[in-house]
Amino acid sequence: MTAPKLKEFDYDKLEIGEELGSYEYTLTQEMLDNFRASVDDPEAAFPTLAVKHDATAFAMVYDDKVGTVNAGNEVEFYNPPIPGKKIRVTGRIADKYWRRDMPYIVIEATAIDEDGRLLEKLRTYQLKKPDEVGRKWQPQS
Amino acid sequence: MATAKLEINAEIPSVSKHVTQSSINQFESCGILDRVNIHNDPEFAQQRLGFSAPIASGRMSVAFAAESLRKFFGPQVFHHTGTINLKFLRPVKHGDTITVSGTVTHHEQVESGTLVTVDILCENQDREKTAVGVATAIVP
Repeated sequence: MTAPKLKEFDYDKLEIGEELGSYEYTLTQEMLDNFRASVDDPEAAFPTLAVKHDATAFAMVYDDKVGTVNAGNEVEFYNPPIPGKKIRVTGRIADKYWRRDMPYIVIEATAIDEDGRLLEKLRTYQLKKPDEVGRKWQPQS
Repeated sequence: MATAKLEINAEIPSVSKHVTQSSINQFESCGILDRVNIHNDPEFAQQRLGFSAPIASGRMSVAFAAESLRKFFGPQVFHHTGTINLKFLRPVKHGDTITVSGTVTHHEQVESGTLVTVDILCENQDREKTAVGVATAIVP
């Protein structure tokens, strides 16, 4: 399958409300096991957090040469996903704004499984100036 | 859960997690796009952030907070009505130990039960805040 051509990310051209389309994947037991091991929690129920639904939706549409730092997440949990089931994710650009002279975008994703169960809604606040964060937090030698 | 837990200033169970590059990489391996990023590739982290090493995804801290909240509310409540809103204040990197704590700050009656609000704090081993936020769940 040929990968779809990505659009070059341009902050100024990004539109609030822009749909990022949808995609499907099957959650495997291995993904769940890896997630649980990675966060050292054998009862963790939402491996979808590590799949990063919203960022994945964005990456399937945009070639982002700027990069990003995650400034915050808002998650609503509705039903834990079940291994073996297909998950359908729909993404959109929920907002963009400047704060303290820094550009942010807000990506939103909703996940529903093949039985129509709503699993999770996720919003990520992305700072689209990652080098600024690096300058702030990297200890200077 | 006991009603007493809903009282204002009640503390949720604290969890502490030691973060390593291995755990960061394993978290990243759960994604469906096979690509390098600032979490799993030192060169990429250097290029994008100017950091000498990768940093952990903030979503790991969301997962840590979710564990605390699940233990407090119970999975039947938190996995179906829970929310987490975290702001990331400071990078988490290999070798850090992140401790999640939280306190009930508000509750109110809603149609399906009691909406309980919890202030969440994530700190590293030096007691520096790495993330703060708010979580909620509706207790029937």
